[in-house]
Amino acid sequence: MSRRTGLALLLAIAASVAAFIAWNTDRDRVVRTPAEIEDYVFWQAKELSDFTLARAGDRTLTTSDLKGKWTFVFLGYTHCPDVCPLTLAVLGEVFTMLEKDPQVRREIQTLFVSVDPGRDTPEALGEYVSYFNAGFIGATGSVAQIDAFARQMGALYAIHAPEAGKPRDNYLVTHNSTVFLVDPRGRLYGRFPAPHVAPEIAEAFLKIRAFDSERSNTRWAFQ
Amino acid sequence: MGLPMKSWVSLVLGCAALGAFASPPPIRIVEPWVQAAPPNAKVMAAYARIENGADKPQKVIGVSSPRFEDAEIHRTVMHGNMAHMEQVKELALPPRATVALTPGGMHIMLIVARGPLKIGDRVPITLTLAGGETLAFEATVRAARAAGAEGQTPDAHSAHKGSARQ
Repeated sequence: MSRRTGLALLLAIAASVAAFIAWNTDRDRVVRTPAEIEDYVFWQAKELSDFTLARAGDRTLTTSDLKGKWTFVFLGYTHCPDVCPLTLAVLGEVFTMLEKDPQVRREIQTLFVSVDPGRDTPEALGEYVSYFNAGFIGATGSVAQIDAFARQMGALYAIHAPEAGKPRDNYLVTHNSTVFLVDPRGRLYGRFPAPHVAPEIAEAFLKIRAFDSERSNTRWAFQ
Repeated sequence: MGLPMKSWVSLVLGCAALGAFASPPPIRIVEPWVQAAPPNAKVMAAYARIENGADKPQKVIGVSSPRFEDAEIHRTVMHGNMAHMEQVKELALPPRATVALTPGGMHIMLIVARGPLKIGDRVPITLTLAGGETLAFEATVRAARAAGAEGQTPDAHSAHKGSARQ
């Protein structure tokens, strides 16, 4: 190896090290997701495109109704004896915990979307969800409207044909058991997979909210 | 079996009331309850532990309640995050074992309530065994217990494994 190539190699190595240090330092300025909420928040929040659902009292529910508040979203159906009432009861408990803080109370809402419009009317849904918390919102829509919403959550569902010999309105529904979290800017921000335990969700939510506020402030400061 | 199941149950209950020590009954329904649901809910779920104290296996082949038009035993099955239910047409009760019906797992699906049920109401339920014997009990309506295992929604890893244990 000539002295010149040796020098060039040395320079190249020095440049790489300098670039790595610079990159690493730069990376440290980014607010990292705290480990305890890593499992719940998405790497990148996803903007929801427009959707329309029907709620009680001939009112519609659109993308703009999800803005300004954190929304806990659950998709199910009321002819569901086990998982749906259990999940809504857990969310009811989460809200009892969170609503103790009047500031948090103003910032949260729950939306239960029925994927079974054949049996769930908007009116019945409104009555159903209010049992778990007076402020919970129930909504449904046409199959196309539900699909447009469910697809954005990444929540699959399936309506099964009734078994032979059973009444036509006695059929089963497969649905996603995840509780989704939409942020106040109307973006799908995170999700709480089953099993759901109320104190865990309440605690994680408060951390997510704090993290989001910190991240927004940091961005603002650096811009 | 000499005596019908109902007589066995009353016999044992009678002895327990007197403080007498009886041999374990063939089948015992332990802590039956119905998960509270909104007044307009058409379906509800009942849970309990079913203890088969006998040396021979048993099977539940039917369930009914006068407060509901129909009832079936179901199991919630989780595939990843997807939840669905399947009917359990015959619920096996292995000898000297307990089968637990718990939220997110097996449950008695009570179909089309004949009227709203509120917390504290008692729901009569009858199980029919393969031999034709029946087992009647009352389940109290209550909210799923907070924070305990009972108050959890199903776990994708455990819900489909069934809950029979020796």
